[in-house]
Amino acid sequence: MGRPGGMKDGRGDSALERFSLAQRVEHFLLLISFNALVITGLPQKYSSVGWGERLIVLFGGIDQTRFIHRTFAVILIALGFYHLVVVVATRKRPVRRHDMNLSIRDIRDMLADVRLLSGRSEERPRFGRFDYRQKFEYWAVLWGTVIMAATGLIMWFPSTVTQWLPGVVVPAARVAHGGEALLAMLSVVLWHFYNAHFRPDVFPMDPAMFSGKITLERLRHEHPEEFDELQEIGALPEGRLPEPADSPPAPAGPGPA
Amino acid sequence: MYWLILSAALWMLAFPQAGLAQTNETCLACHQVEGSKVRFPGGGEIDVTVDPKKFAASVHAPLTCVTCHTDQGDYPHRPVAARTARSYHVLAQQICATCHADQAKVFEASIHGQGLRMGLADVPTCTSCHTAHAVVRPKSAAFRNNIPETCGNCHADAAVMGRYGLRPVYQAYVEEFHGVTTRLYRLATPLAPSPSAVCYDCHTAHAVRRPTDPASPVATANVLATCRTCHKNAGRFFATAWNEHQPPSMRHSPLVYMVQVFYKILIPGVVGLLALLTALDLWFWAVTRWGGREV
Repeated sequence: MGRPGGMKDGRGDSALERFSLAQRVEHFLLLISFNALVITGLPQKYSSVGWGERLIVLFGGIDQTRFIHRTFAVILIALGFYHLVVVVATRKRPVRRHDMNLSIRDIRDMLADVRLLSGRSEERPRFGRFDYRQKFEYWAVLWGTVIMAATGLIMWFPSTVTQWLPGVVVPAARVAHGGEALLAMLSVVLWHFYNAHFRPDVFPMDPAMFSGKITLERLRHEHPEEFDELQEIGALPEGRLPEPADSPPAPAGPGPA
Repeated sequence: MYWLILSAALWMLAFPQAGLAQTNETCLACHQVEGSKVRFPGGGEIDVTVDPKKFAASVHAPLTCVTCHTDQGDYPHRPVAARTARSYHVLAQQICATCHADQAKVFEASIHGQGLRMGLADVPTCTSCHTAHAVVRPKSAAFRNNIPETCGNCHADAAVMGRYGLRPVYQAYVEEFHGVTTRLYRLATPLAPSPSAVCYDCHTAHAVRRPTDPASPVATANVLATCRTCHKNAGRFFATAWNEHQPPSMRHSPLVYMVQVFYKILIPGVVGLLALLTALDLWFWAVTRWGGREV
């Protein structure tokens, strides 16, 4: 994987499954539909700007652009429902489902991390299975999808919606859809691209979401609390535990994966 | 002598209408010269150039020049009655009305027709929208997709509109859903007519009335019925979406305005926070690698 630390003991790939195949497929479909929605949606928001016009002409016109956009919207909404069903169906399994739950601890983790990064503290916050960045991103995607789906459907079926709701929700939904889209795109470009691609320790990309695996070394470094828990219940691969880190590998802050 | 009579007879045969009948080619010989202008003593000038190609492509191509310009068959031309360019255009409507009497009658009763009778200088005449010599089929995709620009010639102009106590509505329209769609049709698929409402779908083409006129299709009481001409199953609250081509504000569509403000604050707020955290993280990397900081 070319990361410092991962294979440094020469013990082969001491890795652990982090994401199931189903989760990786889910992420891949999310990636495809999100990108398709951005590339067909943004030129609709900026249809009076040169590049927006050119993209719409490229797609064959506004009707075709909307058709592609709505097709992927349906895929994303279906994916959202699938995700909810899986979360509900597996809620009682001991598979660390609630690791995405937000709590006051995540705010404290963030503040502790800011203190560390800015040099006001030497102490690394100890993250669990998902650190505060990952949790915030997860909830942002979930919340964003709900907003985008709701406002998108209002614009798609204005006649039906206005049987019950005041008509002003239609132009309001249009504004919200554009605003939320811009927010989502900028957040992904800045936050997700940085954490999953451009951070010096993962550049050019963090493979965990595609290989499904994370090395033990990295797990211990970036998700120490999860590492300890797994060790306690004996869930770590036998005999493959790396030595306790007396000299930490390349400086790594809390990261994705 | 014999040849002279014969050629005169052939000339008469070719143009049975009158001894002085002209072919369009005869007129165009002079009138296709670019920049030919007629100056009016009372002010203004009219470009009398006719592009033969545009005319040939127009719906009026089968007509002769003198079908409309009945009094201009002679050369030198007789002086026109109009004293100004504007009054020439206004008078020219009678030429159109010769054939298009129904439309002329409807137009006369409209707010535009009323304005014309009052002598208002900016009110459109037939040729303002249809042009004089490049008249295209009003049912054509090109004419339809171009309607916002046609009306926008005046209704985008704050100075012109201000003279009559009106707001320029063009910009608001092109930013609305209908306007965006129509604009993109014009741009990307110009041979297909926009399925989205253009000005005349709601305001009518020739019978335009004040929106405050109870008989107007866009009068408050009639808006929902007008929406339903296209949105067949529009819900009973559908028309309250309508904000009269007003940019949203606390007075007009406050909900839309508040959503706008919300995102204007939220987007820079969130993106700023993320940018800060990202910058901090990069800073940390730099000082641990090159700055000698150890954690």
